[in-house]
Amino acid sequence: MIKIENLVKRYGPLVALDHLNLEIEEGEIFGLLGPNGSGKTTAISCLLALLKYDKGNIEVFGKTMTPDNYEVKKQIGVVLQNVAVFDEMSVRENIDYFCGLYVSGKEKRKALTEEAIRFVGLEDYTKMRPRQLSGGLLRRLNIACGIAHQPRLIIMDEPTVAVDPQSRNKILEGIKELNRKGATIIYTSHYMEEVEQICSRIAILDHGRCIAQGTKEELKSMIKTGEKITVEGILMEEENLPDIRNLPHVFDVTYENQELTVRCSGAKHNLVRVLNYLQEKDIAFGRVFSELPTLNDVFLEITGKELRD
Amino acid sequence: MLHLIKYRFICTMRDRSSMFWAIAFPLMLATLFFFAFSNLGNNNLKTIPVALVKDSGNLTASTFVSFLDEMEKDDSHIIQVERLSEEDAVTQLKENKITGIFYAQETPSLMVASEGMEESILQSLLDSYNRNADMMYTVATEKPFGLVAAAAAVSDYRELVQETTIDGKEVNGFLQYFLALIAMACLYGCFLGFSTALELQANLSTLAIRRSITPTHRLKMVFVDMLVTFAVHFVNVMILLAYLKYILKVDFGRNMGGTVLVCAVGCLIGVALGIFVGSCGSGREMVKVGIMLAVSMVCCFLSGLMIAQMKNMIEQYCPIVNRLNPAALISDALYCMSIYNNPARYGRDMVTLLIMAGVLGLGAFLMVRRERYDSI
Repeated sequence: MIKIENLVKRYGPLVALDHLNLEIEEGEIFGLLGPNGSGKTTAISCLLALLKYDKGNIEVFGKTMTPDNYEVKKQIGVVLQNVAVFDEMSVRENIDYFCGLYVSGKEKRKALTEEAIRFVGLEDYTKMRPRQLSGGLLRRLNIACGIAHQPRLIIMDEPTVAVDPQSRNKILEGIKELNRKGATIIYTSHYMEEVEQICSRIAILDHGRCIAQGTKEELKSMIKTGEKITVEGILMEEENLPDIRNLPHVFDVTYENQELTVRCSGAKHNLVRVLNYLQEKDIAFGRVFSELPTLNDVFLEITGKELRD
Repeated sequence: MLHLIKYRFICTMRDRSSMFWAIAFPLMLATLFFFAFSNLGNNNLKTIPVALVKDSGNLTASTFVSFLDEMEKDDSHIIQVERLSEEDAVTQLKENKITGIFYAQETPSLMVASEGMEESILQSLLDSYNRNADMMYTVATEKPFGLVAAAAAVSDYRELVQETTIDGKEVNGFLQYFLALIAMACLYGCFLGFSTALELQANLSTLAIRRSITPTHRLKMVFVDMLVTFAVHFVNVMILLAYLKYILKVDFGRNMGGTVLVCAVGCLIGVALGIFVGSCGSGREMVKVGIMLAVSMVCCFLSGLMIAQMKNMIEQYCPIVNRLNPAALISDALYCMSIYNNPARYGRDMVTLLIMAGVLGLGAFLMVRRERYDSI
């Protein structure tokens, strides 16, 4: 459905996209994950034919994407990172206006507008101006303006930035609902939890390059970490660290601010072995966590830095 | 198309800050001008009470007394003369019962207690008398045969300098302020144009990005935005014109069609200027607003909005500025319609304004029609 080949975009000496290759299938929720400045928004802007790029090819629905490819544009809906609505128009007028840029026919447009209002739960706010809405409601209006025309492909660029947890959950549920109704979704975010929660396939971007791509299980299987054990409130000597490092399946140990982090490969009984050692050495400790690897661990192992850095 | 027009109209009308500059501010300024100038216009001079202290037996003194008598009898009733002794005259002057004392002696003189407009008028009368007396003396001594002609010339003086009108139109010294104000209102369409540019250029706002990625043809969007913005601003200026003409009773002459045409071209320049400045580069919004405000205010200042003589001074020392300043051209073209009957000058102004509107409009269009950007 979407094919991005060898895409290169430079801003002077800065390479924003470095031979980016992506392929997105119809019906999936495709996550673009990466820290700020990794090239997610630039990739989206190139995909939408807004930005000139230096090299590469972009195909959407089997056609090369150009600014005047209006037939393709008709089937795309975009929810931008920053809220993009008219302050001078009410909620209903905004949705109706943007829907009208895609759909002709007053009756059809009206029906689609009402459906979009219902979908994002803004029925009680239709006459309000954007400045009268809370941050969460404003985000919902932003989404409604992008999806009112019921597009085949929806691109969502960090739609949950600065949104309260309740609104965030509603937005994520809405995205899944749209996908169930048949829309293909490209979802960019730097919140790995969100991407893990809703995306069927994920590409991790860093410095304009796609460093890993696949389902979340596939991505996690690419790294060594099978289990991460965190021990809080622990008081121990540095000399104990080599002993822990020598425990079976342990490949990385860090001790900072009375917190011990032990990374082990995917084997059983790692936690038992670590706790036994601490008991043997009579080392006091507070809370203990054992976690399976996250996308942050994937990013950390591949790039050597945290996703949130 | 109707959908685009409807919502562009709604947005422009509800854009409070831009509409304030485009219509509310000129209306307020017009009202302010009206009250300021109508008071000045209605401030008719009162008859100035003066005392005459006569040095009897002197021929020059008698001539001066005759001059003052004539002035007192004149229709203008500029002075009221009371013959007093010097002592009484000084007392009355101290009590502010009279404005000055004329001394009719060999060399007539004036005594005043303070400085002001009335005192200046009395001084002018005295100066005028002295000048004419000197001239008559010179003529009598050097060319006595020309004395009769000289006397006739002096008596006709007031007719020679009397204010005349052209085509029976009343010359209003304050009209040019209102014309400069209309020029300013036209140029303030730049604020509406600026807002439009922000919503068209994807490298300037997120809203423009959202509009740019829709399947609506780019040129259609640009055309509708420019057209509606121009139409709204033209209506704004027409409201101002109607307010001036029907509420404040400013006389724009009989050729209102020509006046409206000037306003239309002026609005086009204002809106195009706003779109052009708004679309230039990707600088900060406040900087661009500052540039636009500075350009429009300087143009209006040079067209005589604050100082009526400014345009004449520029015409005298650097006329090219008046030929290139849109505000000066608009007010000049309006002046041609209201006061002068000078089609050639009106035509020259209009051609220059149309060229400006064309260049700015084309420049603005070329700026906003872009579909792809180097950076956003």
